[in-house]
Amino acid sequence: MSAHAETKELMTPKKAATWVVAIIISLAAIASFGNAGIVFALLIGLMLTGMPISISLGLTVLTFLFFMSNVPVETVAMKLFTGIEKFEIMAIPFFILAGNFLTHGGVAKRMINFATSMVGHWHGGLGLAGVMACALFAAVSGSSPATVVAIGSILLPAMVKAGFPRNFGAGVIATSGSLGILIPPSIVMVIYAVATNSSVGALFMAGVIPGLMLAALLGSVAWYRARKFNYPRLPKATTKERLIAFKESIWGLLLIVIVLGGIYSGLFTPTEAAAMSAVYAFFVAVFVYKDMSIKGIPKVLRDSANMSSMLLYIITNAVLFSYLMTSEQIPQIMADWIIGHNLGVIAFLAVTNILLLLAGNVMEPSSIILILAPILFPVAMKLGIDPIHFGILMTVNMEVGMCHPPVGLNLYVASGITKMGISELTMAVLPWLIAMVGFMLLITYVPIISLWLPRMLGY
Amino acid sequence: APIIIKFSHVVANETPKGQAANYFKKLAEERTKGRVKIEVYPNSQLFKDKEEMEALQMGSVQMLAPSLAKFAPLGLKEFELFDLPFIFDDYTELHKVTQGPIGAKLLKRLETKGLIGLAYWDNGFKVMSANKPLKKPEDMRGQKMRIQSSKVLDSQMRSVGAIPQVLAFSEVYQALQTGVVDGTENPPSNLYTQKMHEVQKYVTMTNHGYLGYAVLVNKKFWMGLPADIRAALESSMKDATNYANSVAKKDNDEAMAGVKKSGKSQIINLSAQEKAAWRKAMDKTHKENAARIGADVLKEVYTATGYKP
Amino acid sequence: MMKYLDHLEEWIITFLIGAATLVIFAAVVHRYASGLPIPGLQDWLLTVNMSWAQELCIYMFVWMAKFGAAYGVRTGIHVGVDVLINRLPEKWRKTSVLLGLSSGVLFTGIIATLGAGFVWENGMHYAVFNKFGMALGDLYEGPITPDLEWPTWIVYLAIPLGSSLMCFRFMQVAWTFARTGELPHHDHSHVDGLDDTIVDATDALEEYEAHKFDKNAEQGGVK
Ligand code: NA
Ligand code: NA
Repeated sequence: MSAHAETKELMTPKKAATWVVAIIISLAAIASFGNAGIVFALLIGLMLTGMPISISLGLTVLTFLFFMSNVPVETVAMKLFTGIEKFEIMAIPFFILAGNFLTHGGVAKRMINFATSMVGHWHGGLGLAGVMACALFAAVSGSSPATVVAIGSILLPAMVKAGFPRNFGAGVIATSGSLGILIPPSIVMVIYAVATNSSVGALFMAGVIPGLMLAALLGSVAWYRARKFNYPRLPKATTKERLIAFKESIWGLLLIVIVLGGIYSGLFTPTEAAAMSAVYAFFVAVFVYKDMSIKGIPKVLRDSANMSSMLLYIITNAVLFSYLMTSEQIPQIMADWIIGHNLGVIAFLAVTNILLLLAGNVMEPSSIILILAPILFPVAMKLGIDPIHFGILMTVNMEVGMCHPPVGLNLYVASGITKMGISELTMAVLPWLIAMVGFMLLITYVPIISLWLPRMLGY
Repeated sequence: APIIIKFSHVVANETPKGQAANYFKKLAEERTKGRVKIEVYPNSQLFKDKEEMEALQMGSVQMLAPSLAKFAPLGLKEFELFDLPFIFDDYTELHKVTQGPIGAKLLKRLETKGLIGLAYWDNGFKVMSANKPLKKPEDMRGQKMRIQSSKVLDSQMRSVGAIPQVLAFSEVYQALQTGVVDGTENPPSNLYTQKMHEVQKYVTMTNHGYLGYAVLVNKKFWMGLPADIRAALESSMKDATNYANSVAKKDNDEAMAGVKKSGKSQIINLSAQEKAAWRKAMDKTHKENAARIGADVLKEVYTATGYKP
Repeated sequence: MMKYLDHLEEWIITFLIGAATLVIFAAVVHRYASGLPIPGLQDWLLTVNMSWAQELCIYMFVWMAKFGAAYGVRTGIHVGVDVLINRLPEKWRKTSVLLGLSSGVLFTGIIATLGAGFVWENGMHYAVFNKFGMALGDLYEGPITPDLEWPTWIVYLAIPLGSSLMCFRFMQVAWTFARTGELPHHDHSHVDGLDDTIVDATDALEEYEAHKFDKNAEQGGVK
């Protein structure tokens, strides 16, 4: 559930009562804005009680459908099954499993040693290694939470052990993990391309330069903060130590080759690559490094299943919530408002950003894209905005949305790995999140960053 | 308040089906003078491929236009005949079935599942694409071919030694680009709008199979409508169907022209003799699936279209 | 009794995630090997049909997710927004947590009921009546899954079964909390095995602490 007793500073009953009344009044004010207002007020209200987010999403949908619409409520039961009935989503449990085998099997240890030997002597060394690892992993995975899992479950505990504050590590990895949907391949981009009939190849190309830029930016923030707060640095390793560390970790590094090479050479789809990496990680852990015994396997499987189920349960309920939004035509109402106010390009893009950021509060990226892209896209075309640029803009927006509450999958994953509550984690990602919002504005108003590479390649 | 009909489908507004759905909405709302409001939900916004049928049976949505391959899971395996390779030579033969008594009889079977079929909408005839020239059926051997989930399509690919692979439509481009699969089959409009020709070197004009849809409504809902409204909706559907079929045909022709113009993949035309070889090689599929589909209904179709391996 | 239920739950999710991995592994190896033009082997592989693998994998994971979500209530893994309630006076917090847990009971209970109704209408009704030779009236046989051709009502049973179990777990947790004030707490940071795994990084750090004033440390870039 919630609650980390150590960090709380209790309010007096009187102050608490004032807060509760103020919140209730605000929610009532939101609810007065018609159906959309009621939905949001209900959701926010339920979430503030501290109940699991998945349950608040589900209860909001149930309550609304039951009292305020004539959609049969049985639909909810069906959606709870079919909401995650998608092979692409199954990459998440596979990558969680692979990550757990790697952490338990001594692969992580050797990889960390290698990363440490390479950049550990810089300010924020392990953090920089994390950004780089996320960027590399993003090149093999189309999903952001999976990237956080794969890199975070190895690097975060290592960083804590190496003496970094928890919130530093969590901030770096939760935000860098979002590179998963910007650096190709990217499921979000494919969905955008299908919804708007644009070229997937061009979108993938367009993601490369912004992806590398964002990686550099996140790395800089890590470096700056590490220097400012004087986080530990390690002694610089000799070339010989680096070679030994490299040799030791080669089996783990090969996984990147297997996943990357596997996808780019067409051996696997991303989900299959995830399954293969789980099998490979198991093999290395048990038979190569022998740091794990056969007896330990059921526990790894069970823990991975536990974590995956939590994520899948939230995704299911987020899909359910998206269904309610669509069914009540809330996105269309928003779109009519935009068109009705006759905005120019600059204002339209600003409104688009705000709308997407708002949506990022309550929905998962593929649903947002599927619902909003068809609405915003025609307006964007009328204003002469490049479709590929618009796609990258939406993708970067989705990245930001995944890193902030209440619905922010990267945060949930990071909270699963670290021992941090969501509010604590929100504070932890803040420095990087601010940088990302700045980056988002850059991408929004400087289209050439996205369009240069695809144009060079003749798209 | 007007009667609301939620019409959900899984493709974009610009596709022939999307356009036809919007055209139907326009006609129906005009002809019922605003007594009916049709809300069209494209792009699987409301329900995905896998859930829409159950949603329709449940009454969560009132109207759908699923692909005919989606009917077998309902227990109506006879609809799988539409997936059989080379069963229709051209649109004339096809429409003899879909707009004739056999088509009507098939739609009637839907009533046993709580549904009513209003019309068939064409998408078109499929072409094969791959990175090697597929001139003869033997060229298919060992090729990994993407199909949509269907027992008949699976057995069609196996009949020529290809390895069928079910992939979500949204994953196809990337899978073709990287080579997870070597090729696929599609009507030209899908091939072109999904940019698959950018990542396929050859397109063979096999026209081997048909892809089409049926427009369905929930039976209880439909029977509960006032008779005059039902009549207005039926007449709108009739006109929308003609519109759908002509848009589909036009789109496919334009798409092939677009593929040709792009120069990104080479188009292979088959002579009558070459096509006969494909037909012969794939005829196995008919035999293998005859029992599933039902020998009687197959025989009726063969009589209507004059199918010979 | 309770111990058996706990074990069953754990055994189900452990099995499902492991099995799903092996299924996809086999499918990928099969697809790749069938593309290799090896006489004999290719002929044999082409006769093996693995088309059902993806569908089975999806179903196994959905089942895992439903039972895992119940297990997650027991392990306290489900995350919530704790900004407000962590700062409320103790008694208020307790009420709020109980409210949250009861909402969990309510939601999963409703879903279990709705799910059971859905499964019943989706073909179970027909299957049961048919089995016992009762009058079928205008009942229709439920749909089947596209690849495996299993009745969907059996597949969808994950919803009522998983949600019932989850409902029960929420009640268990609420009961314990009301009596003892204790919540199951998932120690999110404790990825098991790390304590020994990370020793080397720690060693490196200790080594650095020990040698940071060495004159060689200049090369280490430590100022
Ligand atoms: Na990626
Ligand atoms: Na968010």
